[in-house]
Amino acid sequence: MTEAHGSTATPEHSSSDGRGSDDEPPGGRRANRPKGSSGKPEQKKKNLFARAALFYRQIIAELRKVVWPTRNELSTYTTVVIVFCLMIIGIVYGLDLGFAKAALAIFG
Amino acid sequence: MLTAFARAFRTPDLRKKLLFTLAIIVLFRIGSHIPVPGVSFEMVRSCVEDSNRNSLFGLVNMFSGGALLQLTIFALGIMPYITASIILQLLTVVIPRLEALKKEGQSGTAKITQYTRYLTIALSILQSTALIATARSGALFSSARSATCDPQGIVPDDSLFRVIVMVAVMTAGTSTIMWLGELITDRGIGNGMSILMFVSVAAGFPAALWTIKEQGTIGGGWVPFFTVIAIGLVMVGLVVFVEQAQRRIPVQYAKRMIGRRAYGGTSTYIPLKVNQAGIIPVIFASSLLYIPALIAQFSGGKSDWAVWIERHFVKGDHPLYMITYFLLIVFFAFFYVAITFNPEEVADNMKKYGGFIPGIRAGRPTAEYLNYILTRITWPGSLYLGMIALVPSIALVLFNANQNFPFGGTSILIIVGVGLETVKQIESQLQQRNYEGFLR
Repeated sequence: MTEAHGSTATPEHSSSDGRGSDDEPPGGRRANRPKGSSGKPEQKKKNLFARAALFYRQIIAELRKVVWPTRNELSTYTTVVIVFCLMIIGIVYGLDLGFAKAALAIFG
Repeated sequence: MLTAFARAFRTPDLRKKLLFTLAIIVLFRIGSHIPVPGVSFEMVRSCVEDSNRNSLFGLVNMFSGGALLQLTIFALGIMPYITASIILQLLTVVIPRLEALKKEGQSGTAKITQYTRYLTIALSILQSTALIATARSGALFSSARSATCDPQGIVPDDSLFRVIVMVAVMTAGTSTIMWLGELITDRGIGNGMSILMFVSVAAGFPAALWTIKEQGTIGGGWVPFFTVIAIGLVMVGLVVFVEQAQRRIPVQYAKRMIGRRAYGGTSTYIPLKVNQAGIIPVIFASSLLYIPALIAQFSGGKSDWAVWIERHFVKGDHPLYMITYFLLIVFFAFFYVAITFNPEEVADNMKKYGGFIPGIRAGRPTAEYLNYILTRITWPGSLYLGMIALVPSIALVLFNANQNFPFGGTSILIIVGVGLETVKQIESQLQQRNYEGFLR
């Protein structure tokens, strides 16, 4: 049984929703519930640093599951974006030069 | 890859859209050069050349593509529209009536858009009045010192009628920009609002870069010039890297039979971007931080609190400013993610259409699971946003460069974010016709 509160594992199997051991009778499981939920505050009573450290480890664990772009993807995307931006900047710069001259001729 | 750009122009449908977008950009730039009536054109010109980069309006001037300081009819740029839409998005959470409208579907969205437009008009009246008041009092170019520039002489005739005309013209200009943006969204490529923002930021790039070369001392200014370009390129790569990163949550759809055919049974994923909030937090934080400086400027900058604000919040190089900016960005990143991605709604929808995450029960546990991942993935995302946005301020201190360091956070985020989005949209349109796109 994975313990979601204390581990860095993403709670794929949340332990609180009744996945008790199989040999327990249904009644017993229900009786366990309040105990299970009161276990949470107990967990929260851990000191602040421990909780922060756990949270930090959970963040790292999630970041490991992130699909990062490959080197190939990254380079194509970067070049395409740079080319696109340079094109727009060039066009806008050209337009601005022209219009500034025109404005000067008309209003200046 | 470059042939793909040519191919995009050869596709009749796409060519039409691209040319339409370009035509709108041209119109937008024309408006950014026509001065508002009642302003002394020559005086403004010599003052702009002289003060070059006014520290107060630096960022906002950048967002308007340099039109703000020149007091043109498009001086306010797209900012009021963006601010209005952000405010309305935030209000949707607070006001139940707006939330009901949002859930109503298309007609409700149209209504919200209408409200956004009204709010834009109100904001632009407010902002243009503020701008003209500052220009009239001479505070707009207070840092300018030269023989030809007389800040008091920008508005030669300050009768009430003149001022009203100026406010009306600027407000009309802003609503025209709003319309142009919506036209791009409807009939052009990409999101009109962000495209116009992109163009405004792009317009300031060459001049800002050149200023760095001019002001630089090492190697005739070429050393800082190329250093800045190199840093900029690295940052583009970094931004692309994080923008592309996704946490994919697998979703399995149940197979079901309707009549004789089987539907569903597919497995997809929910892509959660590391930076799910995009560039909105940065824009919002910077426009919020500009408010105290504006108020201080308004009051004349004589009282104690105004001096305090002047010292801590006007220039981007004070640690207090940096910390506030950073915290605001982190806050808005979380806030915006909470608004735009509602785990309960997603979990509900998944349940409705027979989808589930393997190993997680449908309904509330799924929502909790999504929430768990979202909070943990947004932390690094928001920290990244804050760090990237702070680069200009840090560079300002290290390099002693000017404040509008062009490859600094906010502008780079906008440029790369919008560029990536637009390129992807062109790409998908190309692929619709079985052409190879450029993102191979």
